[in-house]
Amino acid sequence: MRRSRIIKPLPAFVLAGLIMVYASYRLPRLLPGDFVSAMYASSPVTLTADQEAQIKAYYTRGEGFSRYFLNLFTLNWGYSYAFLTPISALILEALPWSLLLMGGAHVISMILGFIVGVEAAWRRGGYIERSGVGCMTVLEGIPEIGTGVILLLVFALYLGWFPASGAETAYAMFSPLGRAWDVAQHLALPLATLVLAYFPGNFLLTRGSMVMVLREQFVETARAKGLPPARVRYAHAARNALLPMVTRFGLRIAFMITGALVVETIYAYPGLGTLLFNAISMRDVPLIQGIVLISSLMVLFVNLVLEYVYGWIDPRVGHVP
Amino acid sequence: MKRSVVKAACMLIFLAALIFSNLPGGMASQIREIRISDSKGDWGFPNPYRHYPRGPGYIRMSWVFDTLIWKDQKGYIPALAESWSFDADRLAFTFDLNPKAIWHDGKLLRAEDVVFTLNYFKRHPYRWISIDHVSGSEARGPHRVIIYLERPYSPFLSDIGGTMPILPKHIWGSVEDPETYNDPKAFIGSGPYLFRDFNKTKGTYLYEAFTNYYQGRPKVDRLIYLRSGKPLISLSSGQVDLANIHPEMAEQLKAKGMVIIKDERGWNKKLMINHKKFPFNEKSFLQALAYAVNRKEIIEKSQRGFATPASFGLLSIDHDMYNPVTPSYPYDPAKARKLIESLGYQSGSDGRFIKDGKPLKVELLTSNITVAGESVADRDGEVIKKQLEAVGIQVDLVNMEQATTDSRVKRWEFDLAISGHGGISGDPRILNEMIASQYGVGSVNSARYDANLELNRLLEAQMLEMDQEKRKAIVFKIQEVYAEDLPSISLYYPDSMAAYNPGKGIVWFFTKGGISKGIPISQNKMSLIR
Repeated sequence: MRRSRIIKPLPAFVLAGLIMVYASYRLPRLLPGDFVSAMYASSPVTLTADQEAQIKAYYTRGEGFSRYFLNLFTLNWGYSYAFLTPISALILEALPWSLLLMGGAHVISMILGFIVGVEAAWRRGGYIERSGVGCMTVLEGIPEIGTGVILLLVFALYLGWFPASGAETAYAMFSPLGRAWDVAQHLALPLATLVLAYFPGNFLLTRGSMVMVLREQFVETARAKGLPPARVRYAHAARNALLPMVTRFGLRIAFMITGALVVETIYAYPGLGTLLFNAISMRDVPLIQGIVLISSLMVLFVNLVLEYVYGWIDPRVGHVP
Repeated sequence: MKRSVVKAACMLIFLAALIFSNLPGGMASQIREIRISDSKGDWGFPNPYRHYPRGPGYIRMSWVFDTLIWKDQKGYIPALAESWSFDADRLAFTFDLNPKAIWHDGKLLRAEDVVFTLNYFKRHPYRWISIDHVSGSEARGPHRVIIYLERPYSPFLSDIGGTMPILPKHIWGSVEDPETYNDPKAFIGSGPYLFRDFNKTKGTYLYEAFTNYYQGRPKVDRLIYLRSGKPLISLSSGQVDLANIHPEMAEQLKAKGMVIIKDERGWNKKLMINHKKFPFNEKSFLQALAYAVNRKEIIEKSQRGFATPASFGLLSIDHDMYNPVTPSYPYDPAKARKLIESLGYQSGSDGRFIKDGKPLKVELLTSNITVAGESVADRDGEVIKKQLEAVGIQVDLVNMEQATTDSRVKRWEFDLAISGHGGISGDPRILNEMIASQYGVGSVNSARYDANLELNRLLEAQMLEMDQEKRKAIVFKIQEVYAEDLPSISLYYPDSMAAYNPGKGIVWFFTKGGISKGIPISQNKMSLIR
């Protein structure tokens, strides 16, 4: 890869990163209400005006964008108002569960969607392909909340095959293997809900772009050369149909951090979505800004990586002026 | 062929290992534990300075820190104090401590710890209680403590006796910033359970029995809190042993062998009113609103019948000091219209009220409301809107997120708002907090109503009256005046229920007047002790 191609996108990404740092600081402060009111206003503890002013002063000491910006360079993300715990510790505690659930769902649904989409396009016009497209279109329209509740009722309440909530049995004394199995059991339903939500979109996208690619002359040439059908499908056609999927994956990374809120709520699954939702409800400004910043920076980073990946998948991209 | 048979056998062994390793081992199976769930999970760290200022936060702290006295189904019972008495002449409460009481680190709990706690809370307030009325305290020997009042303070037993957690002097004596004190020693108390873990993202808590607890070894070894938004499924599948439930779930859970318990009516849904602006500053308009609202219809439609109409005097109808003859406003739209007309409004051709060419239009704010730690969606707004429109008041129904609604109510940027709170079956101090701005300025549930001087005087008087019968008479009068003025309108008491698994051998109950200051949650620590 040429050096200029590596350096070229960097200034734009750095600028976007700086804008995001400012947005992560400013946006949470535009929310109506504040932490003290959110915590105390409906609580059995009724504060006097003096007490309220004192607590507000306690929590807002050391505020200011310049301080926030400088602290980022020392990896000091601040302290959560509610937990009085470093933001980085809270995010690191929640992030693995988000990555396990959302990452797993994205990877599985992408692989499944890609393979099934390629196969469907190859068999275009057949009964299976047509009914498959119909089913996927319907499935694409069902929101996660609908699928989640149905799976929960059938597999947790009536059949009792899977636990209804949590990421693992809290404080159970399992062996390491037992714990892995327990985590897998807890993951099954939320993961299935997300895969069912993402898979149809991936399928339809791959099928669509594959149908276009299959009309290209180079595919005809590959066929005429007598190459095995699987090689024609995957090595020649599917590689060229992969680009939209990669773009979709990049865009979906944004949802990877906080997009599973509905599923996390249904299954009481820990993750950054729930952490952010609770932080917003409590107006825990440092925690909101921390999660917003890390999620936006992750999106930026992944998109930067994808810039380079595009060139690797499709070398023609590298030649675009 | 042989190879594939071996492969299949290996796979089977691996799967069996996975499945059977899921079962707790011999040691674990002997451990008795209770699992409790709610939908939020996270309620802060369980010590006085770090738990959230909500009922579930206090409850989580109460397993670790004991108070001087406590409450059960019938009323006050001894806790750290075996006995107590009040000397009216000296305005002094004497508490005799249980000599068996010790801290989790094995040190003896002494009277000087109580004296220290009071002094410490003066310097670093614990906001659940007010110790402004305490003039001093002294230890008379290792187990007797006397607390002197500057002036009479009727909620003393509820506030200080039954709510104030006692801190160990040998630990907190050197702590200057209790809010950020994060040492494991910050969780050394004298309660029945040792705090072991709080996972903030999973919303789980682990407590272990304090075997040397002065009231006897707790009945279960481990107490676990976890987050689950689906109590029906979690209880049915055995994932949890105790949870708050919606009343509609009761029959189904009963059929599955669960025991259902119902709380007294200690929480009320109410209509907050901006009585600082016209026409809401007119008593006749407020009374018109009360007549226009059909509470039975709200209960039928939005609560599916699982609620009781509330007293207009605010205090629960189950309270010992409830006044049954407060002014009442049965549904009467004709009377409501008449009262509105008395303010100069005229009914237009479409039946809507107009004055000086302007329609009578109000904004009604609604949002999710937290009840006993569970966020509950509001369904009353739509019904109330229709009822008010039926008498000729135009209503803009605005549904917002709770913190936003709270913020608008607090800044008086609203007309009407649907709200709710508990504590109405606890100490009558709740009347002061929910009526007068002097006591309730920080609460969005408080009417912050100071316009009636007689009411202000009565509220002050009930705080100073140590004689329960005389206090009762004052509280009766407060309810009358409040129900006459209607600075906010109590709508109904929703049925509050919990379900538990009796197979664990624990009998859970709701506390009379609620735990501490009136927390309507069934997790009373006495269930695991006696």
